Amino acid sequence: MTHEIHKVVRESGGLRIVIADSATSITKDNKNDIVVDGSHCGANIAPDYALPNGIRGMIGNDAGIGLENAGVASLKVLEEHGIPAAAVAAMSAEIGVGQSTYNEGIISTVNEVAKKMGVTVGMSAKEAADKMLEGIS
Amino acid sequence: MSDKIIVKKAGSRKIVIADSAAAMDESTKGDVFVDGSHCGINVGEMTLNTGAGAMIGNDAGMGKNDAGIAGLKFLDKHGIPAAAVSAMSAKIGNGKSTYEQGKISVVNEAAKKLGITPGMSAREAADKLLESLSKSGK
Repeated sequence: MTHEIHKVVRESGGLRIVIADSATSITKDNKNDIVVDGSHCGANIAPDYALPNGIRGMIGNDAGIGLENAGVASLKVLEEHGIPAAAVAAMSAEIGVGQSTYNEGIISTVNEVAKKMGVTVGMSAKEAADKMLEGIS
Repeated sequence: MSDKIIVKKAGSRKIVIADSAAAMDESTKGDVFVDGSHCGINVGEMTLNTGAGAMIGNDAGMGKNDAGIAGLKFLDKHGIPAAAVSAMSAKIGNGKSTYEQGKISVVNEAAKKLGITPGMSAREAADKLLESLSKSGK
């Protein structure tokens, strides 16, 4: 667990879009949040941080996708729980830096829940986060 | 939460494996920490702040501005040996995969001085780091 003060970039209808460098800083305080972070979207992120804290949406880094698509493994898991999630290309944003994900990130991978909300590959992370916020409202 | 596994000991030092670098704490001070995280700047800071002796993570495909390995240079400034395995050799987010399948792609200067080289297995690199740290007695 990493302590971080999350930056809130948008609030609407009791939901928020927040920025974090690491998904490991997610807590129960994020239960109404779409979390945009600098972490990879590997297999540990959903069960260890996103699901136990009940976040409403997630955008992370695809970490170059990597061996057996490990960099985006959590997107599918979140999809099974009805949670929209997407990853930005590692070449579009600096991994480990949540503000870079949000400001510079270009979506490379989308789960089915996010797709239904209008999130598409090539979209900016900022627009994708907005679509998720509108989609779950 | 990410569990820690101790795979080897030498004197007071250990090789510890975890899925996330966020599992580093007081109990891993001075140890060789092998994790599934990227080696971005925030992971470098976590390593320094918790006092790990050495760190091996995932290069996350390097990415924009080599952000995936930015922590290695940062740790170099503090004399802490650190290395990354290629994202195509091990599953990011999985510490055991880093340790068992990882092939070193990038090393910092402090690790290079201890004989860690690109192409080496993460296991061999961790062994070398443990050996050096246990001998240093720091």
